[in-house]
Amino acid sequence: MDYSRPELADRLAAAYVLGTLRGPARRRFEALLPAHATLRGAVRDWQDRLMPLAAGLEPVAPSPQVWKRIEARIAPVTSSTRIPAAAAPAGRWWAQLAFWRGFSALASLAAVSLAVLLANPSPVLPPIIVVMNATAPAGTATGAVTPASFVVSLSGDRRTAVARPLVNVTLAPDRVLELWAAAGSNPPRSLGLISASGATVVGRTTLPPGTDHLAVSLEPPGGSPTGAPTGPVLYVGKLTS
Amino acid sequence: MTTAPQDWSERSRELSALLARAGLGDRAAFATLYERSSAHLLAVVLRINRDRAQAEDILQEVYVKVWGAAQSFDAAQSQPLTWLTSIARNRAIDSLRRQQTQPQLQTLHSTNDEDPDVYDSVADDAAGPLDLLSRASDARALSHCMQALSAPQRQSVALAFYDGLSHAEVADKLQQPLGTVKSWVRRALQSLKTCLESAVQRDSAAGN
Repeated sequence: MDYSRPELADRLAAAYVLGTLRGPARRRFEALLPAHATLRGAVRDWQDRLMPLAAGLEPVAPSPQVWKRIEARIAPVTSSTRIPAAAAPAGRWWAQLAFWRGFSALASLAAVSLAVLLANPSPVLPPIIVVMNATAPAGTATGAVTPASFVVSLSGDRRTAVARPLVNVTLAPDRVLELWAAAGSNPPRSLGLISASGATVVGRTTLPPGTDHLAVSLEPPGGSPTGAPTGPVLYVGKLTS
Repeated sequence: MTTAPQDWSERSRELSALLARAGLGDRAAFATLYERSSAHLLAVVLRINRDRAQAEDILQEVYVKVWGAAQSFDAAQSQPLTWLTSIARNRAIDSLRRQQTQPQLQTLHSTNDEDPDVYDSVADDAAGPLDLLSRASDARALSHCMQALSAPQRQSVALAFYDGLSHAEVADKLQQPLGTVKSWVRRALQSLKTCLESAVQRDSAAGN
């Protein structure tokens, strides 16, 4: 069967979403989804059409044990992190001169800071784009640190930042990425958690005065419990403005 | 007047922010998401699998999956409530196929005075599929389009959607040949699609 044929895709997706597609046919259809964008699109359209039917159902509160069991299932498992601590520069990375020197060499090659100046002079500062590079070289055993970079764009008023990985980063399920701003050798300040697979808008940002670096660290779910980076620093980028 | 199911979208917007934060590993946001959506999802699951203990197990699986997949949720492409409801219905339907015996459906009684025919017989002492349709009033365009279907078409779709019945089970319940039911469902879905698409077009033409 040619599943990319729109009418067939539409008919199967409708039966799948309604639930009348059953048994082996249902399993076959599910197996096809990851590889067929047409089918996925058709499924999404049918979900949009039919799911609001469920709005009329009278809610039924689950018993409290259900949440307790879910909580236990999603609890962080500290021993299962796929990124060994060895990937981190030892000690307080932001205070280590050698680290920064080594990084600068890398940064001068690859980190581009683009100050996009508007044609007409304006009192607001231009937006800044900071490219943050992986601190570990490509191909390290961690498997989680890609050689690719994070890009952070700061709005002209420096109050909004948008962080986005150039290539999606694969993380252990119990790890999150946290964005930091550092000024000189002062301890960095958290700007919030960012997504490993898409753009994150970090609103109401207050960069510490004199901020000259941005960094992304690997943290337990919910972010650093201490207010300073606790996990390895995976990406660093220099702010030139 | 919007064709979009307003409350559905409204509730979805709140959930969207929670889901985004859960995707970043925020457990507190995930707990709030659970608080605000679990009773709805349990209702969805319970209609399909009426065993309370099994339904709660399914609910647990649904949220563990949501926690793992929250990061891949794309608010630009789907509404959170639609996404969550779809996951819950899928799990509930999958749970049926694992059962050797189908849950016994309760005896019928008519709740609709206008159409006291076989198609309005319902499967439960709780709200029947047709009651639920009329109550899904925030899904205005959808309920308008459902009303435009013939009674047997509407009844077949409602039994399949709410109670998770297969074509064969719907046929059994309505005491109609399987082929007839299949064609009711197929035509009903086709009419719904056409009706909803023209509702969207009307809506955008009205500048809304």
